[in-house]
This record gives sequence, C-alpha cells and structure tokens, in this order.
Amino acid sequence: MTATLEQLDTETTVRVVAEEPWCTVVWDDPVNLMTYVSYVFRSYFGYSREKAERLMLKVHTEGRAIVATGNREAMERHVEAMHGYGLQATVSRAEP
Amino acid sequence: MIVAGRSGGEGVRLVLEAEEAMLLSELADQVDSVLLLGEADDPALGRLLPSAYPDDAPAAHEFARYTRDSLVDGKRQAAQRVRDATVVDDGDDAVVQIELDQSEAWGWLTFLTDLRLILAERVGVIEEGDTTADETRDDYLRAAYEWAGFVQGSMLEVLDPTDG
Repeated sequence: MTATLEQLDTETTVRVVAEEPWCTVVWDDPVNLMTYVSYVFRSYFGYSREKAERLMLKVHTEGRAIVATGNREAMERHVEAMHGYGLQATVSRAEP
Repeated sequence: MIVAGRSGGEGVRLVLEAEEAMLLSELADQVDSVLLLGEADDPALGRLLPSAYPDDAPAAHEFARYTRDSLVDGKRQAAQRVRDATVVDDGDDAVVQIELDQSEAWGWLTFLTDLRLILAERVGVIEEGDTTADETRDDYLRAAYEWAGFVQGSMLEVLDPTDG
C-alpha cells in the first residue's frame, strides 16, 4: 500500500515538472468569412498576412488548425479571445 | 448602404438608409436579448460561447466559469453599441451616417459575426425537418444573414484592403 502511494506520488511529480505544451485549435465554421478569420489571426496574434492566410486556409480545407502553442494558461487566454471574436476554438495538449 | 473609408484616416464610414438602420437596430437588440436571456441549452448560445474543452467536461466547466461573464459582457456591449448607433426616430427617413475608428469597427465586426452565428443556428434548426416552419420567418432570417455577411465583407474590404 505504502509502496504504491509513493510510486504514484513520484509519477505525479514528474508529470507536473515536465513542460507539457498545449495548443490553441481553431475549427472550421461555415458561417465565418475567410477574410474575417484571416484578419483576426493577424490582428490578435500579430501574424504576417502570409501566415494568417495559410492558417485560415488550413482551417477551411482541413477543418481545423493549430494557431498557437505554449503553456496552458496562455492557450486559455487565446481561446477566450477567439470566442470573443466569434471563432470556434478549443484548448488541447500539443501532439508530440 | 454605403461602406467607405474615412477621409481622416483609419476606420470606416457607414451610410445606412433609415430602413437598414432600423433593421440593424432590431437585430442588435435581439442579439443582446439572446445573450441576456438565452437558456443554457439554446444552441445559438452554444455557438457564441463554445466549449473550450469538448472532451473534458470538468475543464470545460472551469473555463466557462472564469470566462463566460466577461465574454457575455463584451458581446452584449458590442451589440448595444450597434443598436444605439442605429436608432432611428419614428417617421425620420433621413440616412444614418456612422463613423467608426479601428477599435469601434472591431465591435461591429464581432457583433456581425455573433449575429450571423445566431441566424445560422435559427435557420438550421428550421431546416431540420420542422414541417410547420414559418417560411416567411425563414426567408427573413436568411436575408438578414446574407445582408450581415455583405456588410461585414464590405467593412473588411475597407479596413483590410488586399491589393497594395
């Protein structure tokens, strides 16, 4: 019993210490104008026109795109901002 | 409706017919009402305030708890500003001229997005097999949806010209 608990504690500690990147995912929504989505990416994230349009097209053609990665708090701030703009956005763990 | 640049610099100038202004004012008031009175299970509200964690209910709940009030406030303020800017007195048929700086224009762009999300949801709900759907209402919602998209697209052409 004691041994198991200690083992679990160790695992938890390791997981917390390890930097786990998260990401902000924007999902396709047929309602939003492509020009609007691209303008939001440029204005909010400060991306170049080229990068913003590439991400917007990825959302449009693939159904979703990772628009930012970083720690969880920062990703939640981004997702909140995206919701403010009316975009469908979610927070998820970055794929390794 | 005329959507043009401002002579003084950044931003956008709108000229609306009295009828267009009245329509916009009414739609803005409806968006405000959905945000104020919307039931938790209203799908339109779900479009405006989507889940940040679709696969993690506790995290989604926590996120909503911290962000929902300020998101709703921001969206309601944007809708109220549009409503107030487009109020037309009864019997007054003069055009309504509106000047927006960059930040005010963002309020309009996000409002128009929220409006379209709500209208799309309402029309979509009607499409899904409700045979008693009011076709006149459906047409009205569709026309409003298209028109809001046209206004937003025109504003973006002024605020973010792609050529040059």
